[in-house]
Amino acid sequence: MNKAVKRFLSLIGISMVVMLVPSAVSAQMPDDNTLVIAQSVDVGALDPALIGSRAEANIIGMIFGTLYSIDDDGSLLPYLAQSFTKSEDGSEWTFTLNEGLTCHDGEALTAEDVAYSFQRAADPANGFTGNTVGFVLPSIKYVDARADSELEVTIIMQGAQSESLRLGLLSEVYIHCKDYYESVSLAEAAENPVGSGAYRFVEWARDEYVRIERVDGFTLRDPQFQTIIWRVIPEASTRTAELIAGNVDIIANVPPDQIDAINTSGTAEVQAVAGTRRIYVGFQFSEDFADAPGYEALQKTEVRVALQYAVDVPTICTALLGTECERASSMVNPPNNNPNLEPYPYDPARAEELLDAAGYPRGADGVRFRTVLMGPRGRYLNDVAVVQAIGQYLTDVGVETEVDIRDWASDYVPLIRSKQVGPLFFLGTGGSTWSALYDMADLSSVTAGTNYTNWANPEWFALWDATQGVDAETERANVNAMLEIFYNDPPWLLLYFQPDFYGVSNRIEWQARRDEKVLPYYAKLAGQ
Amino acid sequence: MSTYILRRLMQSIIVVTGVSLLAFISLHLAGDPTYLYVSERASNEEIAAARIALGFDKPLPEQYLNYMGGLLRGDLGTSLRSRQPAAGMVLERLPATLELTIFALLLAVSLAIPIGILSATRRGTPLDSGIMLFAMFGQSIPSFWLGIMLILFVGLTLRWLPISGYVPVLPHLLNGDFSTAMNNLPDALRHLIMPGVTIATFSLSRNARLVRSAMLEVLNQDYVRTARAKGLSTRVVIFRHAFRNALIPVVTILGLEFGFLLSGVVVTETVFSWPGVGRLVFTAITQRDIPVVQAAVVIFSLMFVTLNLLVDLLYARLDPRIRIG
Repeated sequence: MNKAVKRFLSLIGISMVVMLVPSAVSAQMPDDNTLVIAQSVDVGALDPALIGSRAEANIIGMIFGTLYSIDDDGSLLPYLAQSFTKSEDGSEWTFTLNEGLTCHDGEALTAEDVAYSFQRAADPANGFTGNTVGFVLPSIKYVDARADSELEVTIIMQGAQSESLRLGLLSEVYIHCKDYYESVSLAEAAENPVGSGAYRFVEWARDEYVRIERVDGFTLRDPQFQTIIWRVIPEASTRTAELIAGNVDIIANVPPDQIDAINTSGTAEVQAVAGTRRIYVGFQFSEDFADAPGYEALQKTEVRVALQYAVDVPTICTALLGTECERASSMVNPPNNNPNLEPYPYDPARAEELLDAAGYPRGADGVRFRTVLMGPRGRYLNDVAVVQAIGQYLTDVGVETEVDIRDWASDYVPLIRSKQVGPLFFLGTGGSTWSALYDMADLSSVTAGTNYTNWANPEWFALWDATQGVDAETERANVNAMLEIFYNDPPWLLLYFQPDFYGVSNRIEWQARRDEKVLPYYAKLAGQ
Repeated sequence: MSTYILRRLMQSIIVVTGVSLLAFISLHLAGDPTYLYVSERASNEEIAAARIALGFDKPLPEQYLNYMGGLLRGDLGTSLRSRQPAAGMVLERLPATLELTIFALLLAVSLAIPIGILSATRRGTPLDSGIMLFAMFGQSIPSFWLGIMLILFVGLTLRWLPISGYVPVLPHLLNGDFSTAMNNLPDALRHLIMPGVTIATFSLSRNARLVRSAMLEVLNQDYVRTARAKGLSTRVVIFRHAFRNALIPVVTILGLEFGFLLSGVVVTETVFSWPGVGRLVFTAITQRDIPVVQAAVVIFSLMFVTLNLLVDLLYARLDPRIRIG
């Protein structure tokens, strides 16, 4: 090897040593006062009226307070407000704020600011399209907000509604101070939030991280960590690597194939929780699908009940989702479901028996009838494999099922929203821990935007209308009755509540919530 | 020369317009983006209101004309998600992408040229075979896989380099903050190595082979034989006589290389959590944030056509046989 070559290789070697020493790795590990959470997407904006994703809500939820808050177990607890009363007709709810509240710029937070928070979101001139204005306010039938005194604010809504439903939704409206938000443009507000919660905004490095710091003197919460950093790490395997390396404390959405790597790392563990997202196969009732294969058969209650027995949901969970699960017995998350209803068991013999009795025996080719199952790619946990498995289970009992997989964003969402999916379709829909009616609101009317099946059971909808604004006991009785109707005349092939996997560093103690919220108020260093 | 440059600029306008039109059409062919900006429980009325608020209710030709009108005024639109000027979002992230791309380009070029020369001058030896085998693997390995393997072995197992993240240098330089830029430089370089290698590997491999081929062709020329016959040393023959001519096709490729590397950063920036334009575009595409995607397309197109022009001018400088105009 000649001198030039040797010189060149030496130069490469020396450069590498210089680069590698000292190692930069230890500089990335968080200190004892800092909690680092990694999520896959950056926030689009930090304006509380623009929140449109869970990633944004998780951060905003630490910076801004709400009138009430939802605890880990679904309890609705006072937060910025200490209590509320309702008008006789249930349309006006008056909240009494705690005394001494301030926003992070020092401005006193009063009833006027609470009213402003609602009015600003609802003002069409602002053109907000986030969760607050697009879902929460219409769902509670918001009309206006009014400051009655310094500490009393009245939210005016149309008519009466379930107390838990309305209160839970009101807990999604983030309270901010009028003076600051009137003084800045919408663009500035999206980048520099001034909040009312336990943490103040410090810095947002786009596509890198958001840093927030504990507000000293905030008495309504007692978080342990001085600083929380939300890092943006889009690639799942990179998030896992950072967790194992000790640079990140909490990661969400751990893919099932990485669970073992984390659990055997010695530095972190995976927490699997049954989330609140209901995963189901919908039966399409719209006459637009009258010519679709299997449509006629699927209109029969007996057939839809029979198919409940055909799918082995627990095996789907263990084999394809990486965790055990119990099959859903209704569309409502525990503990708000009907305790008298048992999940349909996997019993293919029973399914075949019921299909025979329904008038669909196997033909000479072994097929009872044919149908199509539509499903998305890339939206839910292992969705393509799950859809294919369900298709095979149905085929095994003689319902020959063609699986039609579509791209989620470009193809499936427009079809879903226009209710052009069927005769069978795979879907997930968000739920709650705090209200049965929230979960059941997917089927609030025949024409409801989320009634993708176009189900029109008259008993169900009569009971739904009769349940609005009744007392808690009557509500519970009606809910149980409705869930029995749903169980016996199912518009859904009931599957499971989507499991969520969180990677948690052994450095801390933290319990994941079922509702996909990552609110680390109670995270602390291990052993403390 | 001026006429040539002017003609090229006019052609560039046509190219950029055509590219923006293609991007516009393909983004809208992917379906109605309104659904991604409303709650999953939004009613049909709420969806319709959102469609109007986002401007998607207008016919596509009208939307495109409005966009081009804004473009002529220097307004590349506003992000649907963040309400920030789309061009500003792209330009804000451009330094991070340029840092990564320039580092990868320097890595690829600085290694490809000596490796290619070495291989050409050691033709037929085990060293030559080894280099060509490396080059073949380098061109075959998917960048996504390579990046993850580097993270796994170099970042996680050996703990030699940071797994992900970015330490800025170029933004500080552009702001005139030289001291912060210099302080950040060592850490920035450590963060650059793995993503830089990921992007550079394909280019390095291809360019090494290209340099080797070009050198072999030149080394077989009569004038090189004459130079050797005159008793000149190998070093003089290679670097004074052969290399400059071998560089001509290499320069052509390198000019295009920068554009190629820019397009390749999407995957690498995602794997290494690099806050550059590639990741911005990827996120904007999945979120159907059309103004941001279009802004990135326009800006990248402008960069690409400008680079092409500079390469052509440099090409003429290197090869006196080429006349511009």
